[in-house]
Amino acid sequence: MRGLIRSFVTTGATFLRKPVTREYPETHRELPERDRAFPLLLWDQQIDEPFCTGCHACERACPVECMTVLMKDNPNHTSQGGTSSRRKIIDKFWIDYGRCMRCNICVEVCNFDAIGMNNTWSGHESSAVDRLDLVMDLQQLLSQSRAGAVKPWIAP
Amino acid sequence: MTTAEFLGIEMPVLLEAFIKVNIVVLAMTVVVMGLIYGERKIIGRFQMRMGPTRTGPFGILQSIADAIKLVGKEDLRPRGADPWIFELSIYFIFVPVFVGFVVVPFAIGWEIRALELGLLYLLATSSVSGLGFAFAGWASDNRYAMLGGLRAVAQGVAYEIPLVVTLLAVAMLSSSLNLGEIMAGQASVPNIVWQPLGFIMFYIAMLAELNRAPFDIAVGESETAGGPHIEFSGIRWSMFQLAEYAHLWIMSIVGSAIFLGGSAWPFGEELGTGYQLLLMGVKSAILIFIAMWTRASMPRLRIDQLMGFAWKVLMPLAFAQVLINGFVIVYDLPLVLLTVQGVAGIALLNWAIQRAVARPAGRPGMAAWAGTSEAATS
Repeated sequence: MRGLIRSFVTTGATFLRKPVTREYPETHRELPERDRAFPLLLWDQQIDEPFCTGCHACERACPVECMTVLMKDNPNHTSQGGTSSRRKIIDKFWIDYGRCMRCNICVEVCNFDAIGMNNTWSGHESSAVDRLDLVMDLQQLLSQSRAGAVKPWIAP
Repeated sequence: MTTAEFLGIEMPVLLEAFIKVNIVVLAMTVVVMGLIYGERKIIGRFQMRMGPTRTGPFGILQSIADAIKLVGKEDLRPRGADPWIFELSIYFIFVPVFVGFVVVPFAIGWEIRALELGLLYLLATSSVSGLGFAFAGWASDNRYAMLGGLRAVAQGVAYEIPLVVTLLAVAMLSSSLNLGEIMAGQASVPNIVWQPLGFIMFYIAMLAELNRAPFDIAVGESETAGGPHIEFSGIRWSMFQLAEYAHLWIMSIVGSAIFLGGSAWPFGEELGTGYQLLLMGVKSAILIFIAMWTRASMPRLRIDQLMGFAWKVLMPLAFAQVLINGFVIVYDLPLVLLTVQGVAGIALLNWAIQRAVARPAGRPGMAAWAGTSEAATS
């Protein structure tokens, strides 16, 4: 009888406790800064251009070869009468999110801190009907950082 | 033709009965849906989950969605099944439960028919469903179903006796088998005060009769993969479910009518029918909630423990209860003696359980191992 009463008390206590369930699509848990979703290009807010110079370092390092990078002369360089110190800048950039395995190597090899892992929920909720919709172009890769939606990344 | 009055209208008896049966069946369907939803919600909370939340506000339409899904599913029958018995078995489970509603007193004067032998009628009809489980298990051509059906019958027969005898003991006190009269006789003091042991034995036997945890070895998922239900799908399976929960509802109403004073205690007869229905609803809801709480708290029994408990513990106590009630009634002793005896009986029950837990008997078939190396080491 004692064990019986104790089992009832235990289950009664859990009954009165708050459920641990989070109703996912309605409520999102806050993600940590170093949450690793898909890679994004970062936007230099001071000069108003991407950090990326198109140096191909990430493209060469990518183990699954999901990136395609093209570089061009920066029209905003100081020699052209602009304000930027970047001689070269990114022209076209594609990342196939369908191939990316989120290994973070592109972020580690980048000399300009121009690429980062998306640490918002949009990086996780990116399902698409067609695999081609998962190939992101430069504008899509930059838009979040440009809008300030990506939280600042904190080094370990 | 005799006539009867219903809602102030004079009508033939059969028509009146037909209308009442329809009302009760419709109410039953709604209540069963509510019970399924409530059980999922409550068990969810016991496990710190939320239960259904996606269908409608707070998931309240979940049962309706399930019903639509089940009706839409294909009605399968295994190739090796016995077609007639397989198809008919479900009615042997479903119809007795339906028929039992005839005498269930929802409030004073609110039953379809107040039979003089109502209690006997109810027990007789509800015990037919064991036959349905045996049919379902045998006809399915499935070992798990067969095993589950056999277990359901063994358990049903074993627990039927303490259930009947404890209810008989109460009927002796009330000197009536009419459920309405038993209920109305408790206007001042509910029977649980005189029969605490009887109530506990009734509750245990009720859980076993309903195949509910911790006595759900007949339909246990981990042992018999659902038991007799296993080969049923679609509408037939939903009839199983409907019968199960309707039976739970009947038993909780009968239990609260017989032991907890039903709608008569407290103040039932003065405060009108609305209050009586509310009282009955609250009392039966408490009984159902405790059944769900038990399900969340207790592990399933083994078949030999289950049968041993019924035959060796509950049955002698139930017969002793009848004997003592007889003494008290015949010699006109004060009823308080029954309360004292009931509490002592609960202590005895506790002692018997404690003893069984402390000194577990050998595994079934242990004798066959005697002398072997395993018996020597253990």
